[in-house]
Formats: sequence, structure tokens, C-alpha cells
Amino acid sequence: MTNKFRGVMQSPVTPLKDDFSLDLATFEKVLDFHVRTGATAISWPHHKGESLNLTISERKRFAEAAVKTVAGRIPTTIHVSALAVEDTFALARHAQEIGADGILAITPYFWTPTAQAIHDYFVRLCSSIELPVLSYNSPSYLAGVEISGELMARLIEKLPNFAGVKEASFNSEKFLEISRAALPLRPDFALVTGVEFLLPSVPLGGVGSYSAAGSICPNLCRDLFDACMAGDWPRARELQYKVSRLWALFRNQYPSSLKGGMVIMGRPVGPTRAPLPTASAERIAFIERELEALSILDTEPHGW
Amino acid sequence: MPAFQPGLVHLPVTPFKADRSIDFERFGRLLDFHIANGADALALPTHAGESVSLSNDEKRALIDFAVEHVAGRKSLIAHVSDAGTALAAALARHAEAAGAAAILATTPYYWTPPPAMILEHFVQIGGATRLPFLVHNAPEEMAGIKVSAELMLMLIGKLDNFAGLVDASLDWQFMIDLIMEARHVRPGFALISGDELMVSPAAIGATAAFAPLAAIAPRLTRTLFDLCRDQKLFEARAAQEEIAGLRQLFKASGVASLKAALAARGRDCGDPRPPLQALAAPAKAALGRALESLQEPRGW
Repeated sequence: MTNKFRGVMQSPVTPLKDDFSLDLATFEKVLDFHVRTGATAISWPHHKGESLNLTISERKRFAEAAVKTVAGRIPTTIHVSALAVEDTFALARHAQEIGADGILAITPYFWTPTAQAIHDYFVRLCSSIELPVLSYNSPSYLAGVEISGELMARLIEKLPNFAGVKEASFNSEKFLEISRAALPLRPDFALVTGVEFLLPSVPLGGVGSYSAAGSICPNLCRDLFDACMAGDWPRARELQYKVSRLWALFRNQYPSSLKGGMVIMGRPVGPTRAPLPTASAERIAFIERELEALSILDTEPHGW
Repeated sequence: MPAFQPGLVHLPVTPFKADRSIDFERFGRLLDFHIANGADALALPTHAGESVSLSNDEKRALIDFAVEHVAGRKSLIAHVSDAGTALAAALARHAEAAGAAAILATTPYYWTPPPAMILEHFVQIGGATRLPFLVHNAPEEMAGIKVSAELMLMLIGKLDNFAGLVDASLDWQFMIDLIMEARHVRPGFALISGDELMVSPAAIGATAAFAPLAAIAPRLTRTLFDLCRDQKLFEARAAQEEIAGLRQLFKASGVASLKAALAARGRDCGDPRPPLQALAAPAKAALGRALESLQEPRGW
């Protein structure tokens, strides 16, 4: 069986009104835009969706809206990571109740847990629901807290719904240790990176990416994935370098700059909640010049 | 300056006798082994060659010996790192006079250098000769000291013979950031994989590789490198995973494991010099057993 979590999956930003409240009508437009422009799955709310700046009830409300709007056209997963693990369990149960196709959960990180504590956490989480669970491994952002290849193997052997990993080490050795441990045990285990690292991961068994880049350049995302899967490496390299230039532009004040870029693309989604800044007029003008230099304005859809 | 593309680079160890002096007789046989078993070029003395445990005179003698013994059969890359800039630059000049093909240097990690200090260090060493100059970026070995893509682009601007970067950081973002810019400012600039994990670097744009494990698994390393060079990256995955597994056996004890493995494969190069400790007998035996089924050459 092929895991359904593959390809260029989009993790939408969270549109806000000028008073910083959730903007449901625009959220529905964002979701529709991603589905129409080739996203293979939706996953919300990632950190670029300002997950940590939303209340739990806001997250539940928009999770329901995401499942309802996508309406089974592609799979929808809910990112349930929260600082308090009890919130994560509540969000996971909620995702199952509303009919989501899976959840994504990061390693608990604040207390720098041991490997055994991470193991116990995922056992508890995966046993609490029947949905597929994708783990989120990000040692470089989380002070070294990580799911090693060995731990990944233990979890796969124990948990039938432990379905994949968003692998955010972006490091040859760490990726290979996980792929070597996971794929022999579960050949359809989804090894997912970010769109900015499809090129180095696909030859080693990577099957896709989570990203919000599709809100700016869905055509580029799709072309890059297709070139990688076709093994057209010279073309994939050029496209990957282009994505890297965009990533360099957006990772500065992420996701504020992404929201600023969406203004240029005719898809405004409002401000960003503090402590993140909202892109200034100057910043947006700078982003516009960069997007023009990268010929994004000529090659990607404008408006909804 | 024309581009320097070294291909698959082997990293010979430095054999020692029981009295811990360099065993030049075995070193010659080891060089012949590497040349006969798939090396496109040799780099020495690298950390695999215990460079930091060799005296200045020994390093010079080693390079002189290697140049004469290899006699142009393969390119020799001389590793000249030292904590002091002038010491490294003098060694680079010596290597050029001896007949090396290129110069390799790491960050002066001992001084926990800020970027400006690293830049000046490389400008002085690289500028000491007219040979192609390679920087070795190995944060794990260097207490976390690493170079940024921005710093390397500045070095290109300051050093005409800066020909490539050997990257052992394993860091995809760094490799992409560097090569996508460097290829414009210096066509032919070589991104070189700093270890056997070469598939992702090859996808990103690496064109050569340093492979310490080629001393133990030269056939597998050659197969993997050729597939990467020919951009058959899906086809390279099986060989990549095999050598990634092999690599884990050597991770904890580094050079001591490498020397134990060489002995187990019939190419005894002695024990490492202190402060490195030879593997204890049980660990040596376990490593030998783990390598037992390897379809790779035995003996010299």
C-alpha cells in the first residue's frame, strides 16, 4: 500500500482580520486555492500557521473548517503539537471526531525529554486514537531533542498507526539513520521534509514535503517534485536553487514575510499575531522586487 | 585558474611501527593499495592519517615520501592544517615545492575563531602557494567551529586559487546556499562531499568525495561514487545505505577503529599514536567479525 501522505502537501497560513481574530472566509479561500493548484494533502496549523499563537478552541474551530472545506478532495491532517501534552491529546481526539485523515505531532521539547520519555509519549498518543500519526522530528530547532533511527524502529514495531515523520534535521546522516531503520520495517512509512529539501531527500527515500510555499508558487513546487520523482536531477537542481532563494526571502521573519508575499500575489491574509511582526510596507515592497527578479510574478497564479 | 576536480579521494592512514615511529615501508604499500583499488586522488595526512599527532618534520617527510612514491600516478592533496597561520602556510609552501597537486586546510578551531579570523587564516594559507586550495568544513571534529556560505563566498573574492570546499557538515542548507552562489562567481568551484554520505550532496551539486572508509570498502565506495558521478541517484541508494551502516561501526572510535579494521582485513598499519588509544582486544574482535562478510579485498 502506498502511504497517502506524499507529494507536495501544503500547510496553510492562518488568515487574520485586522483585529487579529480568525478570518474564516479567507481561510476557506486559502484551502480551496491549495486544493485547486495541486496540493496532495492539507495539514494545518503548522508553526507557519501560527499554531502556538492560537487558543486550543481556535485550533479546533479551524480544524473543523479545514476538514469541511477540503471535503475529502485530498487528505487533511491536523497538527496537534502544543506545549502541554494534555492539549495535544485533546486536539488529537478532536481531529479524529471531526473526520480528519491523520495527525502530525512534534516531540515534546520544553523539558528536553529522554529517548524513553519520547517513546512513551508517542505510544500514549498513538494508542489514544485510530488515525495515522505522523511524527515531527526537528533536533536543530529543539536543542537536540530527536527521534533517532533506533527509536523510530521501536515505535514502528509497536504502533500500527505510526505512519511517518516530518524529518526536519536536513542532515544526510540523520536522514539516512531514520530511513535505514524505518523503511525495512514499514516500506510505506512516509519520510517527509520541507519543499526546500526535496532534492537531497528524494533519492534516499523521501516522498514529499510539508510547506506553505504553495501559497506563493504552487507551480514551482509541483515542477520541483515532478523533476525529483522523474530523476531529472539537472532540472531538479535549478528548481531547488530557485526554491532556496525564495526560502531565504521568507525564512526572515517567518511567517510574516510569507503573509507579506501573499499580498503581492493578490491573496491577502491579514496581519500576524505578536510576538511575530506583521510585514511592513517597505518589507512588502522588497519582497515584490525579489519575486519579480525570480520571475515568480510571471509564472505563478495571481489572486484566488 | 582552471577547476580542480579530484573525483573519489582516498585518505590513507599513517602506519606506525611498534616504537610509534612512521613505518614508511608499509606506507608505500598502503599508497599502492589505494592506487590499485579505485582512488582518483589521495589526501594526506588527514585526520584519518593522524595529522595532529605528527610533528612538523614528520608531515614534511610524509608528503615528500608520498610524492616520490606515487610518482604522478594519482593527484596528491596535501593537508597542511595547523593552529598557527604561519605554520600552516609554511607547510603549504613545502608541499608545493615537493610536488603536491593541491592544498587542504581546516579552520583553526583551537582558537574558537570568529569569521574574520577564519577568513584571514585561509587567505594566508591559500595565498602561500599557487596550487588549488581546498577548505575542509568539519564542525563535528572541530568543536562546532564551521564556515558559512557567506564566508566562503568572501574567500572566493579574496583568493584566486580557492578551488573547492570539502564538506563534512552533512548540512543540506549550507551545501545548497554555497554551491548555488559559488558556481556563478567561480565556475568550476568544487563542492566535495566530506564523507561517504554522498548521494544528497551529489543531488545538490557535489562533484567529488573524500571517503575515509575506502580503506576498508574500496569496491563499495567506488560503486557508490560512480553512480553519484553519473547522477544515477535512485540506483545509488542501496550502496549508500550499506555504507551508511558500515560507517556507524566506526563512529565511536574513529581512527582507532579504522586501524583495527585494517589489521582485520590483512593490512596491519599498527596502532594509533597516543593520546588515541588502540581498541581493546574484544572490541577489535567484534569489529573484525562485523566486517567478516564484507566482499572487499583482503591483504595488500
